[in-house]
Amino acid sequence: MDKLYSQFLRRLLFLGALQIVLLLVLISRMAYLQVVQEEHYKVLSEGNRTAVEPSLPPRGRITDRNGVELATNRTSFRATFHKDGKTKLKDILPELEHVITFSEEEKTELLEKDQRTRGIQPLLIKDSLSWEEVSALELHSQKLPRITVELALQRFYPEKEISAHVLGYVAAPSQREVGADESLAIPGLMYGKVGIEKMWDDHLRGEMGYKYLEVNARRQVVRELEHSPGIPGENMSLALDQRLQNFAQKRLQEFESASLVVVNIETGEILALVSNPSYDPNLFPDGISHLNWRNLMDNPYVPLTNKAVSGTYPPGSPMKTLVILAGLESGVITKDTTFFCPGYHYVGNHKFHCWKKGGHGTINAVGSIRESCDVFLYETAKRLGIDRISQIYKQFGFGEKVLGNFPHEKPGLIPDKDWKKESKGENWTVSDTIMTSIGQGFVLTTPIQLAQMMARLASHGKEIDLSLVKGNPQNGFQEMGLNPKNVDIILEAMTEVTNDPRGTAYAYRILEASYAMGGKTGTSQVRRITDQQRLSGQTKTHHLPWKYREHGTFVGFAPSDHPKYAVAVVIEHSAGAAPAAQVARDILQFAQKEKI
Amino acid sequence: MKITFASLGAILRFPPWGMILLITLISSIGFLTLYSAAGGDLYPWAAKQMIRYSAGFVIMVGLVYVPPRFWLDNAYLFYGISFVLLCVVEVIGFIGMGAQRWIDLYVFQLQPSELMKLALILTLARYFHMSEPEDILKIRNLITPLTMVMAPVLLVMKQPDLGTAIILLISAGVIFFLSGVRIWKFLIVLALISASVPILWSFLHDYQKNRVLIFLDPERDMLGKGYHIAQSKIALGSGGLWGKGFMQGTQSYLNFLPEKQTDSIFSMISEEFGFMGGLGLLSLYGLVLLYGLKVTLEQTTAFGRLVAQGLTMVFFFYLFINIAMVMGLLPVVGIPLPLISYGGTAMLTLLISFGILFSLDRHAQQKLPKQAMGYF
Repeated sequence: MDKLYSQFLRRLLFLGALQIVLLLVLISRMAYLQVVQEEHYKVLSEGNRTAVEPSLPPRGRITDRNGVELATNRTSFRATFHKDGKTKLKDILPELEHVITFSEEEKTELLEKDQRTRGIQPLLIKDSLSWEEVSALELHSQKLPRITVELALQRFYPEKEISAHVLGYVAAPSQREVGADESLAIPGLMYGKVGIEKMWDDHLRGEMGYKYLEVNARRQVVRELEHSPGIPGENMSLALDQRLQNFAQKRLQEFESASLVVVNIETGEILALVSNPSYDPNLFPDGISHLNWRNLMDNPYVPLTNKAVSGTYPPGSPMKTLVILAGLESGVITKDTTFFCPGYHYVGNHKFHCWKKGGHGTINAVGSIRESCDVFLYETAKRLGIDRISQIYKQFGFGEKVLGNFPHEKPGLIPDKDWKKESKGENWTVSDTIMTSIGQGFVLTTPIQLAQMMARLASHGKEIDLSLVKGNPQNGFQEMGLNPKNVDIILEAMTEVTNDPRGTAYAYRILEASYAMGGKTGTSQVRRITDQQRLSGQTKTHHLPWKYREHGTFVGFAPSDHPKYAVAVVIEHSAGAAPAAQVARDILQFAQKEKI
Repeated sequence: MKITFASLGAILRFPPWGMILLITLISSIGFLTLYSAAGGDLYPWAAKQMIRYSAGFVIMVGLVYVPPRFWLDNAYLFYGISFVLLCVVEVIGFIGMGAQRWIDLYVFQLQPSELMKLALILTLARYFHMSEPEDILKIRNLITPLTMVMAPVLLVMKQPDLGTAIILLISAGVIFFLSGVRIWKFLIVLALISASVPILWSFLHDYQKNRVLIFLDPERDMLGKGYHIAQSKIALGSGGLWGKGFMQGTQSYLNFLPEKQTDSIFSMISEEFGFMGGLGLLSLYGLVLLYGLKVTLEQTTAFGRLVAQGLTMVFFFYLFINIAMVMGLLPVVGIPLPLISYGGTAMLTLLISFGILFSLDRHAQQKLPKQAMGYF
């Protein structure tokens, strides 16, 4: 064996040994990965192949007290973009535009949304696809692999603008809302924006379900592994009666801007809560168009505002009932106390007028309510002082929210000494007391507060809490601690307002005796009437431009002997209480006849 | 020659059927894996690969009857043809403004760098076969073979096809090593390369440096090669001892495994057949390597020994680099798993290699002249 060959053999042996060593390295690495680290990689591989997708449970339906559907769900098709971290929406948008039509705004908004959302969160492209769009998308599905058509439930309000303010509406949560609550960052999720939809959103939304999906590397769904549908949202029965709502809404449509609340005195249930003008809540779940939004925002009569709970007005004369009641309760006046009304009253140098230029002459407490005598109130108020006046106002629920957390409800304002000191930096004056006693000056109330006051009075002084939900669980309301005899005097006086020929609303009484109503008119000045105007006889405001006219108010109850319904109507700038009284009459008549 | 039953019998007995069976077995594992990779479909990979194998099979068996003398005589010719084809690819690639590794022959796409692997082994074996043992020790006599190595290596690197360049360098190294080139000369070359790295590095642009860094550390590029290697390890690791079962590999089935039909195919096999499956495949490869060793040892000529072991070692480094790569032991370069990865030219080259090996096996005792009938 020559030297060269033996060298060759040695080197061959080396290469053979090298192969064996390297193969052993491979085998031990394999053993390490597949045996030692098996569990680790099993978990990773499982994580790779599954994706969790939220499954939206159906939102709870909302019905009126008789089961009429006010908010429900209907199926719609929506297009969703499934991100994979590589494909950009802007790259597929041109192709997508062949299939779905977008406005320029929609496009920029979508692209912004695509930029904002991180990771592989699916992106909602368009809701409520038309059949043409669905079939076009299916046809082009090869070219648009990241776009899928999904069946979804869409919120639908069959009664359209009737009850819109109570119901509110749903829409996709805004960026800000998602920022505050991460759990809202779910595509297709509908979030209550206002009204009942917002107030009871947690209940209506239900519990989110989950779909465990097997996905491939491009996050395309291969199959569904597990589906937990979640818990559907609770259905809700509102106290509202849709027939009454409808009737009231139609009735209020005769005015530029008005609102009313009807309450069942026995249960505190709100049977009607109407604000006019209204809007169609179906505009919102899809994302309202710019044009529709502009129209709603540019309307001077603010259709989006629920005036029944967030309209604050000087209430005017209805407040007189409470001042008289406080007078009787505290004993500064009795049923038989009389004052003389010459048509005006001096406090220091300032002359306060009664609405009746010639005066009411000698008048008692009942008469002062019946004929709405201001001077009687001035005298009573001076004897009571502001503390007792604001106390009884607050006792009847003014100055705070009636429904608690109903969106956009306003508390109004009941002024007192401390309030004036704090907000104006001035001392309280007798003039302020006098203005407050007739529901003018600083006093601001909402229509729903007036309805609550009426309900508490008409129930002979029970602390009625109003509720939008059917079957208010209160078993009997607490007594307010008022003397029933005094309340009776007030209710008797209010019955005379509509049923005594001297009453301010006699012309608008209910003629059928069994349906008879009682109530109190109110007009509240928006602009002070100057002495000059008064001298020239211009105490009426109907000739002024709309926005300077007086607001007209009426609070009422029926039937007058055993009150069951209470109503409050506020008509903005109606130049007098007559229209409000007429509306209240019609409403109470309708409610009684229809046995709502 | 008059064909008789006896001579027909001799011909049938001639090829090493055991080896052919082994090769067919390994290739069949490839077909099954490609079938599984396509989600249980012969298309797009398995059927085509089977056709290629069948065509290559005929060539392989045919080559048994071609004596080693033929390869010795024509080694330089093959080298020349391969080199020209490489240049052609380079020109087409230049015109195409991008990497180009193939020549479209319409029937199939020819990858000249694959042919070059074979031609380089043959040509170096011929060179050293012709040289006297003492000549090999002289440095000036190494200039010619080094040039023969570096010319194609530089061309392939420019494509850029780092995997093939590495295989070319390794096969050349093996032949230099086996033909008796002094160890210190290898060490000097290694030292020179190491010394030149920092100098070359300073000439690189930032993006080029970045590429090299990603090559060395794939984790830097989690969306590209890093993702590739991570997914490949997940597939392999999650296979466990016995695997998820044929056609049950979720990683590949759900397309997490990139290039599952080519470079990552071992991960897929490991996912579906587990550690035992991988070990089984390595054992089959081991048998092939043993056969290569047997053929090498039986050779009576330097040319035979160098070619036999050169081919065997190339086969080994293919499988080693590929598997080490998908396990995250080596940086990711495009190197297929022999006989299994989807790919036409690679399969054909391998089957030709086996044909040459078989021919060497059957003509082990045949003397080869020092003077070839070469044309170069």
